[in-house]
Amino acid sequence: MQEFTFTIKDKNGLHARPAGAISSVAKTYQSTIEIKCGEKTADGKRLLSVMSLGAVAGQELHFIIEGKDEENAREALFTICKEKLGENDK
Amino acid sequence: MINKSTLVQGIGITNKRVSGRLRFINKEKSTDKKSTIYNVGTELLRLDEAIKRAKGKVWELEKRARELVGGNEAQIFEIHAMLLEDEDLNELIIAEIKKGKSAEEATRLATKHYERVILELGDEYLSGRASDIRDICTQIIDALSGNEKDSEQIDGQYILVAEDLTPSQTVLLDKSKILAIVTFGGTPSSHTAILARSMGIPALVGTGKIDYLLNGSYALLDGAEGTLIINPSETQAEDFEKKRAKENKIATEHERYLRSLMNKPAVTGSGHKIMIYANIGSENEISGALSNGAEGIGLLRSEFLYLEKNSLPSEEELFSTYRDIAIKMGGRRVIVRTLDIGADKQIPYIDMKKEENPALGLRGIRLCLGSRDMFKSQIRAILRASHYGRVAIMIPMVISVREVIAFKELLEECKRELSKKGIPHDSKIEIGIMIETPASAIISDKLAKEVDFFSVGTNDLTQYTLAVDRQNSSVSGLCEENHEPILRLIEMASREIHKQGGWIGVCGEMAADLSLTEELARIGVDELSVSVPYLLGVRGKVSECK
Repeated sequence: MQEFTFTIKDKNGLHARPAGAISSVAKTYQSTIEIKCGEKTADGKRLLSVMSLGAVAGQELHFIIEGKDEENAREALFTICKEKLGENDK
Repeated sequence: MINKSTLVQGIGITNKRVSGRLRFINKEKSTDKKSTIYNVGTELLRLDEAIKRAKGKVWELEKRARELVGGNEAQIFEIHAMLLEDEDLNELIIAEIKKGKSAEEATRLATKHYERVILELGDEYLSGRASDIRDICTQIIDALSGNEKDSEQIDGQYILVAEDLTPSQTVLLDKSKILAIVTFGGTPSSHTAILARSMGIPALVGTGKIDYLLNGSYALLDGAEGTLIINPSETQAEDFEKKRAKENKIATEHERYLRSLMNKPAVTGSGHKIMIYANIGSENEISGALSNGAEGIGLLRSEFLYLEKNSLPSEEELFSTYRDIAIKMGGRRVIVRTLDIGADKQIPYIDMKKEENPALGLRGIRLCLGSRDMFKSQIRAILRASHYGRVAIMIPMVISVREVIAFKELLEECKRELSKKGIPHDSKIEIGIMIETPASAIISDKLAKEVDFFSVGTNDLTQYTLAVDRQNSSVSGLCEENHEPILRLIEMASREIHKQGGWIGVCGEMAADLSLTEELARIGVDELSVSVPYLLGVRGKVSECK
């Protein structure tokens, strides 16, 4: 099992585009990917599920990845989070 | 996304070549909003198909957006595509279908659920995303009803692509924008083909299904060869242009010759004069008819005034249009055929029962005699217009003397009503009937005594005589080489009407078939009525006849 936590910095929160990016990356891996945010849990591979977390800036996303390719998945997901939910420079 | 050249083969109507962008239109909206279903399996299949189509559409939009405004803005369509693929949403829709909901209803319920979930998050920015979900819902439902919006407007003219065109659709189309028509189904004598001929544009029918994703693609349509090349290669395009240039040159020379004959009467070598009239389906075609030498209107399909509207046109509306046509034709004969509708040519606001066999059902004069008020209002409008020109009235689908007498009684009744109010009309208006059933030709001796003229509707006469459905491509070919039975019936009717001092015309497709002109002249046909693009050709052919 792999885990990591990422704090959302983008002031728009986990909106449709980053959610889309995360779930499309997640879908490319066999491992199960769970995202926890507060009391809610989402299936990382499902866009609506991720969007439904309603995560806003400052909240923490907790990723739990389990499966054959969990290490690669962790790295890819962490990268996409940094890229899409990092500081919003706009 | 699909850019390789695709060749589609069909049956070409008119020998022209055109190039342009394809525009797909869908079947008419189904008016019944279904909420319950027949069969879960079918509904699941429909859903599956609809989602695929909606996704195709979204990717297409994404591609266009990327080209137009760049990748950042286009991302939203990527999100839409992902939403369409989303398992949670799909599973919820499927669950609703399994509960007995229709695919439409299930989609509405499922998307509503997620819309609410997102709105309840209370985050302002995310709430905006609820609209994306609504958008998805609309797209799936539109795809389900085969009713996608034209999100991409094609500027200018286009090649229309449709599964099939219904008569009412063809009326509502903006014809000035159509370069050519392509239909998946249909035969050379289907509505589409007739429309294309009357517009003088090429058409390709019976192509089989063409992928909706090709909407908006550039294509070359060759009516002579019956081909459509979508996304042509450079060599294909050059080859096409060469053929087109050559064809245009020949066409121009021939037209110059025909134009020189335009104002001369059409007389055969043996001295038989034939009037060349135009078939029109709306007022807009008059200027074309006149500039191509029409000596009259042999068939005014009066349905257009009914099809254009959402309710029954009033007598005043009908009158003013007929009057304008009579005036524009300036004393030339205008034959108004009374309303010819039936279960296969429906008018949405007239309640017509679905029929097993509409060709043999309640249509034409049968329907009109049963809808007295509607029919009388049309008859009065025609009578009133007759004061402003030379108007004749003609009834379709006659099979008995009784029908003609019933019609004449109504006509007299209308005349009396108008006279009482002092409204001017031609009290001796010419009366004609369509000869389009074998019955009417067989009893033409009796019918000839009741009317001033006959006009042969060869399309229906062929279908009823040969027992061949002209919309059915597996048998419609049988009509092509089997003219003799039809010609014999026309000859019979011609003999009888002439005995009574009347005259006979032909207004069906056969009138425009130049290989039959000689024979029709020999039979003694007095008038040939054809759609506008054929006027010059038919006139030219008559003068070449023996």
